Amino acid sequence: MRSLLLRVFLSFWSIIVITIAVAATLGYVYAERARETLQGFEVSEAMLEASDALAANGRDGLTDWLESLPDITASAVYIIDDRGQDLLDRRLPAPVVLAMRRFGGPAARPPRMRDPANLRPARPFTQLLGPNDEVYTLFVLPPQGAVARWVSERSGVAFIVIALLVSAGVSYLLARGISRPIQRVRESANAIAGGNLDTRVMDRVGDRRDDIGLLAQDFDDMTAELQRAWQRQTELTANVSHELRSPLARLRVALELARRKTGELPELDKIDLETERLDALIGQLLEFSKMDADPHEARSRTDLDELLRSVVEDVRYEFEDTGIQIKLESASAIAVDAHAGALRSAIENVLRNAAQHSPANGEIVVTLETGEDEAVLSVEDQGGGVPDDDVDRIFEPFYRSTATSGASGTGLGLAIASRGVAVNGGSVMAKNSGQGLRIEIRLPAAG
Amino acid sequence: MNETTTTPAAKILIIDDDRELGGMLAEFLAPDHYDVSARLSGEDGLAALEAGEFDLVILDIMLPGISGIDVLKEVRQSSDTPIIMLTARGDDVDRILGLEFGADDYLSKPFNPRELLARIRAILRRAQPPGRGQHHVVGRLEIDTRAGSVRAPGGPVRLTGTEFELLRCLIEAPGETVSKDTLSRKALGRRHMPYDRSIDTHISNIRGKLAAAGVTNPSIQSRRGVGYCLLVGDPS
Repeated sequence: MRSLLLRVFLSFWSIIVITIAVAATLGYVYAERARETLQGFEVSEAMLEASDALAANGRDGLTDWLESLPDITASAVYIIDDRGQDLLDRRLPAPVVLAMRRFGGPAARPPRMRDPANLRPARPFTQLLGPNDEVYTLFVLPPQGAVARWVSERSGVAFIVIALLVSAGVSYLLARGISRPIQRVRESANAIAGGNLDTRVMDRVGDRRDDIGLLAQDFDDMTAELQRAWQRQTELTANVSHELRSPLARLRVALELARRKTGELPELDKIDLETERLDALIGQLLEFSKMDADPHEARSRTDLDELLRSVVEDVRYEFEDTGIQIKLESASAIAVDAHAGALRSAIENVLRNAAQHSPANGEIVVTLETGEDEAVLSVEDQGGGVPDDDVDRIFEPFYRSTATSGASGTGLGLAIASRGVAVNGGSVMAKNSGQGLRIEIRLPAAG
Repeated sequence: MNETTTTPAAKILIIDDDRELGGMLAEFLAPDHYDVSARLSGEDGLAALEAGEFDLVILDIMLPGISGIDVLKEVRQSSDTPIIMLTARGDDVDRILGLEFGADDYLSKPFNPRELLARIRAILRRAQPPGRGQHHVVGRLEIDTRAGSVRAPGGPVRLTGTEFELLRCLIEAPGETVSKDTLSRKALGRRHMPYDRSIDTHISNIRGKLAAAGVTNPSIQSRRGVGYCLLVGDPS
């Protein structure tokens, strides 16, 4: 999405810069033409006209002549009298004041009238001599338009920089206005992929009536449909498992009644065992399906060390008859923001899986370490591990390694663990290590 | 049925929408002198409870119409009749809610009927306290083990059978830590199982009721990972 932002930004910016450049070039050409007009002005017939006007009607004549000039020229021509005032009483621009100061007052040697000699081009300005020997100083300023100024003066660099910055800012805002809603849609898509089906784009994009608003609306409709489908699926699984359990419940009571009538039979024990297995499988299936529909339960700050100790205690108790030792090495207390139920279930299933695959009197080593911004929990057993090719597959539902086909699990334990870790924003991986399998759970530490 | 039996048949009410299960359970429990009635809905169950006395109720949490939890709440308004609830396995929410609303124990479905029988026995044995009744004064509480009643200075504290039994276990060993396993064996008639939070929930209920009655002495302390301990201060 950054590339879209960049592309839109660059497009806008280059359009604005090109527009400015064209406008500046046109302005410069125009200014140059005006300058040429004015440069010719001093030695033109007009100057002689001014001289004539002064001779004929004195100061008033000169004023009339000045007023009769076309606007663009008049604004650049100043005629200053002895007292340093413009004939039209205009404010004198800075360059005129500066030149007046530098070259002093009226000319020392009065020029003759209507004579080329009274035009003194050696000075940067022309002077005219009035009927009463008063001196009129004539200034012709170069064109003073903004464009001409930045082209001709050093402050043009600053102007270019400012123009670039302003146009960049405007372009960036425009580009972001387009790319940001798309970014929002993308974030929402990620949140939904991450399992949060309650996400709605409209909440983030706002109530827009343009195409982006429509996109957000469609996206939300799609999410809602997905959510409904998901709910139906979850309800179905829950209902199925409930409906499967009712016959199981009846089966178990019927079994006990049969035992009373016929006495103990090995076949009845077998039926009992299989009923229990079926029940355990349904239980895990339900847990597995809930893990996706979850987390209804909100995240809460959970002390991982405390949770781990409690799970280890439970699993030790569960497997106390097997002589399996569970060694817990927990370095420090670390907190995670977790859906505690799902996380507990995940750790429990990893530990139970290790215990189920451990040889009698085997040892399981559980360690909790604090990494950079994360907690690393590992469980290592002595159960012989799995074939290297299958290491990544053990988190799939109902995966069974050929090496461990004798084990007692339902085939869902590690799949539940994997999901339980995933809904908590962590990752789980397995590798063969030492005499068995090592499963590592990484969880982001609470901020 | 053995006519020479000295104990009268205990009356049990099963509230479960599974008609066949109710029938088979009645057959299963009959040899142990339990007189079982079955109701198929919460509404019918409440009506039956209103109409007659029962020694124990087996209540399915997943019921059509009003839920088992609602039935439980309704019953606990007026009666301390022991209740064993049946929950779907893995449904921790229902189980914890049920215990919090005063169920005495729970079994997850499908259960082993012999397990059910054991629990019924444990609860009913407890519900009929032995003849040697004792009157304890612990802190600001007065406890009568024969009547199964607890009095605080402000009035009686109503505990369910299981809660009372747990409190009694703790009172018998003041200041000592009683393990969850011991508490479970004495109050629920079974060993403490991993993943089982029943004892914790019951203890939390007792704490809540004592706190509501304004009693801070005695107080129940938890010894994490081990059990609970009753601390008694000076009576004052």
